[in-house]
Amino acid sequence: MSRFMLRLIGGVGLMAVAAGIAAAHVTPPVVLASDREAVAGLLSGSRRYFVREVRLSPAERAAIQKQSGWTPNEDFYRFYLGRDDQGALVASTIFMTEYTIHGPVRVAVGLNPDGKVKGAQVVEITEETYPWVKPLIDQDFARDYVGQGSTGRYTLTDRVRAAGDSMTQFYGQVIVSLIQRAAILYDTTVLKRPTSG
Amino acid sequence: MNGIFLNRLPLSGKVFCTLYLVGIGCGALAAFAQAATAVGLSPGEVRASLAPDMPMTHMGHGQMSREKEIDLGQISTSAKVWIRTPLLIQTSHTHLFGMTLIAGLLGAIFLFSSLGEGKKTLILSLPFLGTILDIGGMWLTRFLWPPLSALVIAGGSLFALGYVLITVRSVYEIWLQKELSA
Repeated sequence: MSRFMLRLIGGVGLMAVAAGIAAAHVTPPVVLASDREAVAGLLSGSRRYFVREVRLSPAERAAIQKQSGWTPNEDFYRFYLGRDDQGALVASTIFMTEYTIHGPVRVAVGLNPDGKVKGAQVVEITEETYPWVKPLIDQDFARDYVGQGSTGRYTLTDRVRAAGDSMTQFYGQVIVSLIQRAAILYDTTVLKRPTSG
Repeated sequence: MNGIFLNRLPLSGKVFCTLYLVGIGCGALAAFAQAATAVGLSPGEVRASLAPDMPMTHMGHGQMSREKEIDLGQISTSAKVWIRTPLLIQTSHTHLFGMTLIAGLLGAIFLFSSLGEGKKTLILSLPFLGTILDIGGMWLTRFLWPPLSALVIAGGSLFALGYVLITVRSVYEIWLQKELSA
């Protein structure tokens, strides 16, 4: 075989290895529930549904950053509100996302009218993160944070900590932080604003 | 090229090229299925995943809050993958490297085709152009104009067309074409 061919095959081999490394970096998404399923589940008992979209003022963003260390950077946030026949608020839901090195983690968080957590559901992760997050879902991890408000204690409980290895705990903390952010956003944009209802 | 053509490769070279082309074809089918199930194959579905999220309430630019009654039916039932900017960055860098390397390997094989230079140049350019159009279309959809999501579909199709042409012609030359004089 000529030297030219050897060089060519060597180059091709190197490119194939590099392609494999690049392709292996991010895995496809795993969608566990549609938005409608999550909203219907977390707003159960509601008869009428509303969308409330809110923007944060610079002062509100600064206050959230100071309170939690999180810097909200979306243009606006969307709450889905469920009301009864008389128009009284039953619950609210918001979708929160964190982008990790393994891809996005998206969680739907249900909140009671007083801003306390009603429940949470992981709606989207990636193939790679799924085995780490599954033990948390199996353990119904969100149960441990029900009833907490924006200033609650959002650290891993012993039960969640025991659910899996360090990666499971890492993703547990990511999800728990998303639940807290939802509570903070509701507190800031719904409860603390004069026109809230 | 350099007097070496696909039909003159040693058996090991022929098997290598053929298996590589078959393997990439299987990968392309899997990628197609992944795109179809996770995002969708129409420009509208691509736009829904990539375009900036617009307020459902038609909240104006300076408005701080707005509320509107909806029907649950207005919320998507299809599992929706949201490709926001951080994920777009991740997707872009992995796909630009991965797809360009695949296009490079396909092109490297096709360099030894006995086709004329003009046709060869055109065909081996297709996967590269498809890659640029595909990933570039994602960014343009997100930041310039949502209807440009059609470019993502066009780019993927161009990549697939290039792959098919390269594979069909290469396999033909490797296994069926009679020996050419140098």
